[in-house]
Amino acid sequence: MRVSLTWLRELVDITLPVEELCDRLDMTGTKVEAVHTLGAALEGVVVGQVLDKEPHPDADKLSYCTVDVGGAEPLKIVCGASNFGAGDKVPVACVGATLPGGLTIKRAKLRGLESQGMMCSAAELEVGGDASGLLILPADAPVGEPFAAYYGLSDTVLELEVTPNRPDCLSMVGVAREVAAVTGVAYRTPASTPAEEGVPASELVSVEIADPGLCPRYTARVIRGVKIGPSPAWLADRVAAAGARPVNNVVDVTNFILFELGQPLHAFDLATIATRDGKAAITVRAASEGETIRTLDGQDRALASDALVIADDERAIALAGVMGGEATEVSEATMDILLESACFDTASTSRTSRRLGLISESSIRYERGVDPELAARASDRAAALIAEVAGGTVAPGIVDVYPGRPDPLHIELRTSRVNALLGTTLTAADISGLLTPLGLEVSGEGETLDVVVPTFRPDLEREVDLIEEVARLFGLENIPSTRPGGRGRVGSRTPVQRFRDSLGRALRAAGLDEHIGYSFGDRKDLDRLGWELASDEVLVELINPMSEDQAVMRWTLVPSLLRALSHNQRRGIADVHLYEMGTSFVTAEGRKQPKERLMVAGVLAGSWTRPGWNDPAPALDFFDGKGVLEVVFDALGVGRWTVRAAERPWLQPGRTAEVIVGGDVVGWLGEIGADVLDAFDATGPATVFELSVPALVKAASRTTRAFTDIPRFPAVTLDLALVVAEDVTADRVMTVMKSAGGTLLESVRLFDVYRDPASATEEERRLPAGTKSLAFSLAYRAADRTLSDDDVRPVHEKLIRKVSGAVGAEVRG
Amino acid sequence: MAISDELRALESEALAAVGAAETLEDLEAVRIGFLGKKGSLTAILRGLGGLSAEERPEAGRVSNEVRRSVESALDAKREELERAARASRIAAEVVDVTLPGRARPLGHQHVLHQVVDEIVEIFSGLGYRVAEGPEVELDYYNFTALNHPADHPARALQDTFYVKDLSGDRAVVEGESDVLLRTHTSPGQVHVMETQQPPIYVVVPGKVYRRDVADPSHLPQFTQVEGLVVDEGITFGDLKGTLEHFVREMFGPDRRVRLRPHFFPFTEPSAEVDVSCGICGGSGCRSCGGEGWLEILGCGMVDPNVFGYVGIDPEKYTGFAFGMGAERIAGLKYGVPDLRHFIEGDTRFLHQF
Repeated sequence: MRVSLTWLRELVDITLPVEELCDRLDMTGTKVEAVHTLGAALEGVVVGQVLDKEPHPDADKLSYCTVDVGGAEPLKIVCGASNFGAGDKVPVACVGATLPGGLTIKRAKLRGLESQGMMCSAAELEVGGDASGLLILPADAPVGEPFAAYYGLSDTVLELEVTPNRPDCLSMVGVAREVAAVTGVAYRTPASTPAEEGVPASELVSVEIADPGLCPRYTARVIRGVKIGPSPAWLADRVAAAGARPVNNVVDVTNFILFELGQPLHAFDLATIATRDGKAAITVRAASEGETIRTLDGQDRALASDALVIADDERAIALAGVMGGEATEVSEATMDILLESACFDTASTSRTSRRLGLISESSIRYERGVDPELAARASDRAAALIAEVAGGTVAPGIVDVYPGRPDPLHIELRTSRVNALLGTTLTAADISGLLTPLGLEVSGEGETLDVVVPTFRPDLEREVDLIEEVARLFGLENIPSTRPGGRGRVGSRTPVQRFRDSLGRALRAAGLDEHIGYSFGDRKDLDRLGWELASDEVLVELINPMSEDQAVMRWTLVPSLLRALSHNQRRGIADVHLYEMGTSFVTAEGRKQPKERLMVAGVLAGSWTRPGWNDPAPALDFFDGKGVLEVVFDALGVGRWTVRAAERPWLQPGRTAEVIVGGDVVGWLGEIGADVLDAFDATGPATVFELSVPALVKAASRTTRAFTDIPRFPAVTLDLALVVAEDVTADRVMTVMKSAGGTLLESVRLFDVYRDPASATEEERRLPAGTKSLAFSLAYRAADRTLSDDDVRPVHEKLIRKVSGAVGAEVRG
Repeated sequence: MAISDELRALESEALAAVGAAETLEDLEAVRIGFLGKKGSLTAILRGLGGLSAEERPEAGRVSNEVRRSVESALDAKREELERAARASRIAAEVVDVTLPGRARPLGHQHVLHQVVDEIVEIFSGLGYRVAEGPEVELDYYNFTALNHPADHPARALQDTFYVKDLSGDRAVVEGESDVLLRTHTSPGQVHVMETQQPPIYVVVPGKVYRRDVADPSHLPQFTQVEGLVVDEGITFGDLKGTLEHFVREMFGPDRRVRLRPHFFPFTEPSAEVDVSCGICGGSGCRSCGGEGWLEILGCGMVDPNVFGYVGIDPEKYTGFAFGMGAERIAGLKYGVPDLRHFIEGDTRFLHQF
C-alpha cells in the first residue's frame, strides 16, 4: 500500500516527524517497507521561460534559445524540440541536474554552440509519457521555482506492508484511522452527498442477488449525461500517487474512492446493459456451465461454475470483484453510468482471481474483506465527485440490496485473560483506553469487558483477536521479558539423534566435508545410473515441479554427490571428499505419503591432499572408501560387519561391494563406472558409498562394549605367506585362520599381496599361474603366561593345515 | 726395567693413544689394545703372578693405579666423543621449521548444520527436546491444523509443491492432491501436540520447500528451526524473554532485540523479531538497508484454533511458537551474499566454515 503523506495529512493530523511516524507504525504492526521522497530526483530542474528562439546556424533541426531561469543571466540552450516558441514556460534542467533516466546535465557544445542546460519533455522528467516535445507549463508558472515543488511532485510516499488480516488498512482513510489510533490524534472521514434530480434510480435499474452467500450487498446508482474526458489535475495526481494510471474522469473517480475509502467501484455504460421492463436488470449470480466473458483487457475468459458474475438478462457483464467486461465498459461515447458499489465474498473472489491470474486493486481488497457498511457511503461520494468532474446529474436514490447486513459483533474480553496471555498487569481502564481509539466500543469495567467491533475490522472475531490489539497498542516493547519456569524439564535428544551427530562427526574426522544437496531428483538419473527400482517401488512425483530435472523426489543421494563432484572438478578442484546425510523417498501404489529413509552417502575423488614436499598424496580408490567405513564403524561401535563382492549397475564391476552387518545388506560401496561418470560430467576414479542410517543405528545398538584385560604377557608374532588361487578371497582365508587358531590366536593382519607381474617371463614367474600370495602376520598370545615355541608351534601348524585344506593354500617358501 | 717402570711406560702410551682417538671406534680399539683379553696391560697383569713376594705388592699397587688411570681416561674420552657425536647428529638433523606440516584433512560440517546445531544447543540448554516430522506432509498438518483458511494463498500451486497421491483418495480423482512438501517446519508443532501432553518444550529442525526459482535470495529448498512451548501460565513475556536470550547467545551480548507485531495464521498475538545490525549497531547502514535492524524470525502465542485441532484446552494451557531460517541466520552471521552457495557443494565454500 502506497501512502502519500500529502494526501494522508488531509485525513489525519500527523504530529510526529516522518521517521518517528515510521517507527511507530513499525512497532504497532504496520511495517514501513520503504520511504520514497518524490521530487528529490529532480533537483536542479526549474521553471524557465523562453525569451528568444532562433534557428541554429549549422543544424536545421536545432534551435538556439535564450531562457530565463530566474538567475542573474539568462541561459543559452540548444534545443531539438519544435513545439514551443518565445514566451513559453518550460521545465529547464540546469547544469549539474540529474534526470530520472540518469542523464547528468553538463555544459556541452552542440554543433559549435555552447548549451548551458536542457529544456525537458514530460517523458524525460518521468512525469508523463509524452516525449514528442517539451512539457509546456501554464503561463502563470513562476520562473525560477523548483519544478518538483511547482508540479506537486514534492511528496513523501510510505510503502506499507499491510498484513492479510488488516484489509481496513488498504485505504487512505483506514491508514489515517490507524495512524490516529497509534499516535493519539484525530482523523477525518471524507463524505459527500450528491445533488440528485430527475427519475429515481429505482425506476432505471433493478438488482437481484441470486446467491446472497457470495454477495452480502449490492448497490447501484445512476448518473446521467456525463461527459467522459480527462480528469482535473488534482484527481489525476491522487490516482497516480496511489500507483494507478489516470484513465478518464469517471474511471479515475472510481479508483480515487477505492484508494481513499477502500471501496472498489465499477462504472458500467448504462446504455449497454439489457433491460427488463424498461430497467437495466442486474443479477449477481454464479457463472453457468461453459459461460465466457471478454474482460476489459480484451481477453476471452472461460468461467468456472463457482465464479461469481454480474449479469444482465443476456450475458455476464463483469467478473464480480475482479474485472469488468469489455462490452459494458465506459467509453468516450458514454452518456449514462450505472455505478456499482458492492460487497463480495472473500473466498469466491480469491478463487476466481487466482484461477484466471487476474489480480487487481479491486480483487486484492475483496479477497481480504470489504466493509459491507461502506458501499452506500462510497457510492454517494463517488456519485457527487463524478457529477463534479464529469458533469451530469445524479438520479435520486440508490438501489441497495443488502441481504447480508451484519449484526453488531459483541466480544467478551476478560481482563485476567489479557494479563495471563501477555504477562502484563493491565487494568480494565488501561485496556479500554487502548482499544477505544481503534473504533471499538468498550463497555464494562473490572474483569469482563463488552467490546463491540466495527464492521471495518473483520479480523476481530474472538477474544484473542482483541488481546492482540491490546498487545500491539500497549507496545510489545513494554511487555516485561520473562522465561518459562522450571518444573524439572530436561533438554535431551533421542538415541537416534545422537547417533546421527556421531556419524557426522566420525565422517568429518575421517576427512569428509558435509554437503547438503537438493531433495529433488531427476527421473533421467535412473538411466544415467542404470538404477532399477524394486518392483514395488515407485518414484515420488511432484505435481508442479519447478523444472523437469527436479520433477521427482530423490530415491538415492548418489546423484546429489556426483553433481557436487562435477561442480568442483569443473572448477579445477580435484580433491573432493564429501558426505551427505539426508532423506531418500520412494512410494508404492496405494500409498498416500512416501517412505522417507534417512541415508548417508559419500564420494571420494582425487587425493586426500595435494602432494606435498614430504607427502606423495596417492590417488584415492576403493580401499580409501572402505577405510572410511572402517574408521566410522569403529567410532560408532558397529561391530561384526563385512563386505562381499557384488554388482551395482552404476559401479565398476569387480570394484563393488555390499556392506553387510549382522547378515543384512545395509548399503554398498564401490568405484563409479566410466559411463556414469561421463553422464554426470565427472572424472574418476571416484569411490562412492551409500548406507541406510537406521540399519547402522540398529547394528550399533546390538554392540555392547565391555572392558577386556590389557595383555600383560608378550605376543609371539609369526609371519605366514600363502599361495592361493585368484578367486580365494582374503576374507575367506582369514575366517579359516581365526577359527583354526583357537584362543591363542589374537589377531591376523594381512600385510602383503603379491602377484607376478603380467609382463613376467616364464623364468621370472615366482608363482603358479592363476594364483596370488597373501602374507599374514599372526599374533599368538595367552592371557596368563608368556608363550613358548612349544606352545605356539602345534597351533600354528594346525592352522596351516586347516587353511591349506580349506582353501587349497600352499605355504610360500 | 722394573715391572713398575714398564707399567708406567704402558700408561703413558695408553693415555697418548686415548688422547689421539678421534672416534668412538678408535677409542674402542685403544681399549681393546690395552685392556682387552689380549691387551698389553692385561698381559702384564697376567705376569704379576710370576713375581717375587717382595716385588708383588708394589707391582700390584702400580698396576691397579695404571688400570684405573687408563680406564678413567677411556671413560672421559668416550663421554667427550659421544657428546660430539650427538652434537653433530643434531646439527645434521636441523630442519626448516617453516616447511608445511604433514596434515590429514579434517572434514567440515556444513555451515547450515553448524547453525542448526548452535540453535538446538541453545534451546537444549533451556530444556527443549528435538522433534522431527516428515518432509512430505499432508495439507492438514501443513495448513489446516495451523489455522490456514481453505483459500489461503500459500496453498496455491504456484507457491507449494504438491506430490502425487497414489492412495486412490477422492482428491486424486479430482486431479488435486492433499499431499505436499512441507512449506515450513510448523507441522512439527501439530505432530508433537497430537502425540504428547503438555508441558511441551521442543525445537523442530528440518528441510522445507517452496516454489521459488533459485537465485541469490531464494532457494526452492531451505532449512528451518521451529520452536514450540505449551505449558500452564506461558505468557507473551515468556516468549519475549526466551527469544531475547536466544538472540544474545546466537549473535552476541551486545545485540539488541525488538519484537514487531505481525500476522501469522497460527499464532496470535504474532510478532516478527529483529536483531540490531551487527555492522552499524543500529544506526542504519547499507548492510541493513538503512533500518538498523535485521529481521530474523517470526513468532507468537499459539492460536486457540490450533489447540482446538489437537485437543488441548486453551483455557488451561497457553503456549508460544517461533520459526527461523538457518540460511537467513547463516547469511547474516557470515555475510554470505548468495544463497545458492549453500547447496552447490563447492568445497571452497564448505572449507570456509
